[in-house]
Amino acid sequence: MDPVLILQLIAASVIGAILYTIIGIAPGTDETAVLAPVTLVLVLSAFEPIVVLAFFISAIVAKKLTDSIPVAIAGIPGGVMSAPMVEHAMILKKHGMPEISIRKMASGSVIGTIIAVPMSLLMANLIAPLSDEITQYASQIFFGGAIFLALMTKNRWIALLSIVPFAFLIQGLRMFYWETGIVPEDQTVFTSFFLGITIGPVILKLAELLNGRIRRSLPRYGKKDIVMRRTAKTKGFPNPFKILNRKEIGTTSLSSVLGVLTFFMSPVGMTIFLGETLTSRIKDPVKKAARAISSMDGLTNAAYLSGTLIPLIAIGLPLSPTAIGPAGPLFNAPPVFTEENNIHHLLSMSDFIVATLIGSVIAISITFYITIKYAQQICAFVFRFIPHEAMLGVFFGLVVMLAYMDAGIVNIVGVIVVAIVAGFLHRKGVNYGVQFMTLYAAPWLVSLFL
Amino acid sequence: MEQRYDHKEKEENIEVWEDLVHIKDLVLAIIISTITTLGAYLIAPNDPPKPLIFGLIGAVVAFVICSLLINPKRSFRYVDEEGE
Repeated sequence: MDPVLILQLIAASVIGAILYTIIGIAPGTDETAVLAPVTLVLVLSAFEPIVVLAFFISAIVAKKLTDSIPVAIAGIPGGVMSAPMVEHAMILKKHGMPEISIRKMASGSVIGTIIAVPMSLLMANLIAPLSDEITQYASQIFFGGAIFLALMTKNRWIALLSIVPFAFLIQGLRMFYWETGIVPEDQTVFTSFFLGITIGPVILKLAELLNGRIRRSLPRYGKKDIVMRRTAKTKGFPNPFKILNRKEIGTTSLSSVLGVLTFFMSPVGMTIFLGETLTSRIKDPVKKAARAISSMDGLTNAAYLSGTLIPLIAIGLPLSPTAIGPAGPLFNAPPVFTEENNIHHLLSMSDFIVATLIGSVIAISITFYITIKYAQQICAFVFRFIPHEAMLGVFFGLVVMLAYMDAGIVNIVGVIVVAIVAGFLHRKGVNYGVQFMTLYAAPWLVSLFL
Repeated sequence: MEQRYDHKEKEENIEVWEDLVHIKDLVLAIIISTITTLGAYLIAPNDPPKPLIFGLIGAVVAFVICSLLINPKRSFRYVDEEGE
């Protein structure tokens, strides 16, 4: 391979790892919302597909390594995926061992990554022969996926009921754009609707603030109180296999393997289910918590990597919650990537291996080292100097820009409409997975009625 | 950092996406980010992918400006003693 390209891969991975180490620590950063827009911009900016992939892999590994740090230190989840770990991390924190929990979590992540990368490549090869048949029925599969994910949620009837109307809203806007000539008939607005769904909950909240009665009735808070205990510095390069004991390594490996096998399921759901099941028989609360957090962290990493890599390598359609959410732009980012021409079609197997290895190895070596050594300092920096408003503002800005790029000023309004509806559905318990699947199935679903 | 405008006298922050924000600051951040991001996209030479790269730079600039202007709604302190 071209040495210049290798250098680009390394540079992209280093940037991804550093950027998402910081974003991972910031509280409340949803994976889809922080990974998808940036990946999308990189794809549309015509970076080499292999470079984007290395960046993405490095970013998810780094983000998954670090989003559990604020859980351990302050009991605040750094992302949706680390929420199930809060309870266990609080037990360790109560026993005065937050730094042990960081080390165990980070080591769990490393094991999850080490297991997920080769296993995903293997699984992808097993599934690949079926790829032609799967792609033929893509729309039906997405529709089935929407129904499946809807049935898995708590509010299954609302989720089920929302699928067809939401598809009509999306397709209706597209037809309006075609009809008025804002968008040529052969172009389909996708990206900005995708982001509209992502940022929906925030837009709905902002829209509500315009209503004085709701604004006054919202619960008000002072400041978020975060207390951190100073800890001693660790010396030397940390070794994940020494930080975890043999039982923890065993459980973490098992849960990571299961995480890869269930790549098409919701990672949060699997984390809660497996994390609790695998540790339910341990009596000692501290041992139980340590086992739970290491295996949960291993599982989330494995689930994210396999959920991205398996559909990407084997099928080329985003057929997992991770692929359709955070990794969505790798599959579909018109005009650069489409369902017929995306990273799946553009990269060879060796490209996939090289990009994945460079991305994950760099993220692990940079982020794991930083995580173990400077977890406290980084947390302190982020909590003190990075306002939540700045983060929300930037994602809002990116969405507006990409909306404008897709179909001008009118589409900014269109995206706000999609976002408000999506935010409302989200609040009623219709999760991102269902909404994204609907977005993909919309053209076919609506054509059934016409 | 003390001279930054501070809202801590009253309890007036609301929760958006798992963390606390002040409404005025949030509106300010959104306005700044939209102007710099969309603005950079619009002034860029019309030669893809330049507008997007300009936009991305605009977003980074907005992030830095907002981080300097707005105070995080978190009070943060260290404790030194061991045990609870």
